Amino acid sequence: MAKGNNQIEKLAEAPVEFIKDGSAFIQKCQKPNSKEYLKIVRSVGIGFVAVGIIGYAIKLVHIPIRYLIV
Amino acid sequence: MAGFRLIDVAKPFLPLLPEVELPYEKIGFDDKIVYTLISGLIFLFAQFPLAGISKESTNVLDPIYFLRSIFASEPKTLLEFGLFPVVSSALIMQLLAGLKLIKVNFKLRQDRELFQSTTKLFAIAQYFVLANIFIFSGYYGNNLSLTAIVLLNLQLVGAGFFVTLLVEVVDKGHGFASGAMAITTITIATNFVADVLGINQFPVDDEGHTEPQGALINLLQSLRASHKTYTGAVVGAFNRDYLPNLTTAFLVVGLAAAVCLLQNYRIELPIRSTRARGTTNVYPIRLLYIGGLSIWFSYVILFYVHIAAFSLVQLVAKNDPTSIIYKIVGGYAPVNNLLYVPQFPLSLLTPPKSFLECLIRQPLTLITFTAFLVGTGAWFATNWQAISGSSARDIAQQFKEQGITLMGRREQSVAKELDKVVPVASAAGAVSLALIVSAGELLGLKGKGASIVLGVTGTFALLELITMDYQQSGGQSALAQVLGAPGGSF
Amino acid sequence: MSTPTPPGGQRTLQKRRAAQSAKEKQQKQTPTSTRQAGFGGSSNSVLKLYTDEANGLRVDPLVVLFLAVGFIFSVVALHVVAKVAGKLF
Repeated sequence: MAKGNNQIEKLAEAPVEFIKDGSAFIQKCQKPNSKEYLKIVRSVGIGFVAVGIIGYAIKLVHIPIRYLIV
Repeated sequence: MAGFRLIDVAKPFLPLLPEVELPYEKIGFDDKIVYTLISGLIFLFAQFPLAGISKESTNVLDPIYFLRSIFASEPKTLLEFGLFPVVSSALIMQLLAGLKLIKVNFKLRQDRELFQSTTKLFAIAQYFVLANIFIFSGYYGNNLSLTAIVLLNLQLVGAGFFVTLLVEVVDKGHGFASGAMAITTITIATNFVADVLGINQFPVDDEGHTEPQGALINLLQSLRASHKTYTGAVVGAFNRDYLPNLTTAFLVVGLAAAVCLLQNYRIELPIRSTRARGTTNVYPIRLLYIGGLSIWFSYVILFYVHIAAFSLVQLVAKNDPTSIIYKIVGGYAPVNNLLYVPQFPLSLLTPPKSFLECLIRQPLTLITFTAFLVGTGAWFATNWQAISGSSARDIAQQFKEQGITLMGRREQSVAKELDKVVPVASAAGAVSLALIVSAGELLGLKGKGASIVLGVTGTFALLELITMDYQQSGGQSALAQVLGAPGGSF
Repeated sequence: MSTPTPPGGQRTLQKRRAAQSAKEKQQKQTPTSTRQAGFGGSSNSVLKLYTDEANGLRVDPLVVLFLAVGFIFSVVALHVVAKVAGKLF
């Protein structure tokens, strides 16, 4: 019985332990400073939007074709 | 059954399965960009309406609308299932092999090839099964002729087949690393641009007024439109629910910014060379160690749950509220003549259409949905980091080969030290991503939240590979010169 | 507290044996993924499915791209046929 209790306790402890470890890790992390962050957001944003615009251009080709056949 | 291995299933199919050739020589940087982009664009072009769907409206509507954007799928097009079969078979086969549930000896070339062919076969088989679930559920029309059924099968499975090959082209080294990720990222970026800046018009009322798809364009157009008041236009731009609105656009941008921030959380372990004295550096371990893969995995599971429920409710019980299956699994309620919204208890694993609706009708979803994402994400993260070949032990091995060691550690204890960091990082990263996704989804983004998170993490993964490749190629790229891009600005 | 055991003897042997068997076990273990075996493939944050060239129907990547476009246009053609023929299905 004591053993069973122990196991249940262990099972309940696992998430608590996990949250503790995780938040400790996040606190220990190096965080980007605002200048670094802006630079990253800009480069990712430009790449993302540029690719999106190219893709959207392809999608625009669909509109006349759809119009013709449907 | 002794000696039988799952991967042997692929053996008889080997001569039939097309294999994209590995590049004969190293592919140049520009060619890689072009291959990756073209594969993505062909994929986008394949989002083309299916032929042979019955024109009459059917009462079976879209049951997986909130899972679509993350797998780059579009309803009633060739890409009805998008990349789902490819991604799910890749993740599941790798997990099965990694957890030693199926026997594969990755040291043997023949086994690797068989494993890869099985993955491909599994993907195509899934396209076939999913296509027929949808066909026989009546989603494409109630009384389809045999010709129509055969044609639909040909189109859906054929499209799946080509999607697999497109992914393979990029994967085999003609493009940048991962075909599935590149294609998803390109599609998500496209959808984002279409939702914000899209100029294609949709009819919105009987008087012949149209509104553009893009939320921002809509605001500008409404402000200039004569049939709307100034405030009406602004309110409408933030509120409309038939097309993308500005509120969702802002939420999506906010999520993207949050992921960008998290992406840069890292622990920098000081390292030094064992060969040359005094050369020190840092080795970063990211918080998002496994990137967006955990989100993908959670959504793969979610997809299976919902497809299973859909087959049960629609194929077996015909969505009849009096049947037992409907009562146990939950049925579907048609909304706007477009969506099939799952009912309790299936709705527990369905992101709500809006936060308000969630609070009023199904507050339990807040807990169950978040718990599901966090649970599956954490489980996946812990296992994936161990089996994917980037575990603490593997990094330690790499260190040894490159003659690096952690500052102040003996070579033998490097693995142990890394093992304190890597699993925690990947699990904590997966959980924080899951929380961001569920926050977005519970606010009613209908899959856009998950997909933007995946899109941003995908962009990071790709950008990293691209800059690495760019630097390796010595910055010789006509494309980069045209664009005036400084190498390694990322 | 217990007195420290003298060095050598039974325990060291046991330890050595344990270390030896652990090492052997590790060597016997097959890698869990293509990357762990050292042949590329999915990494921690990148999903990469196809790395080896299996024996099968070899096709050139350019052929794949053209065939894919061709496939889409065949569907377009199907639409046209359906429209011209009226009710085909």
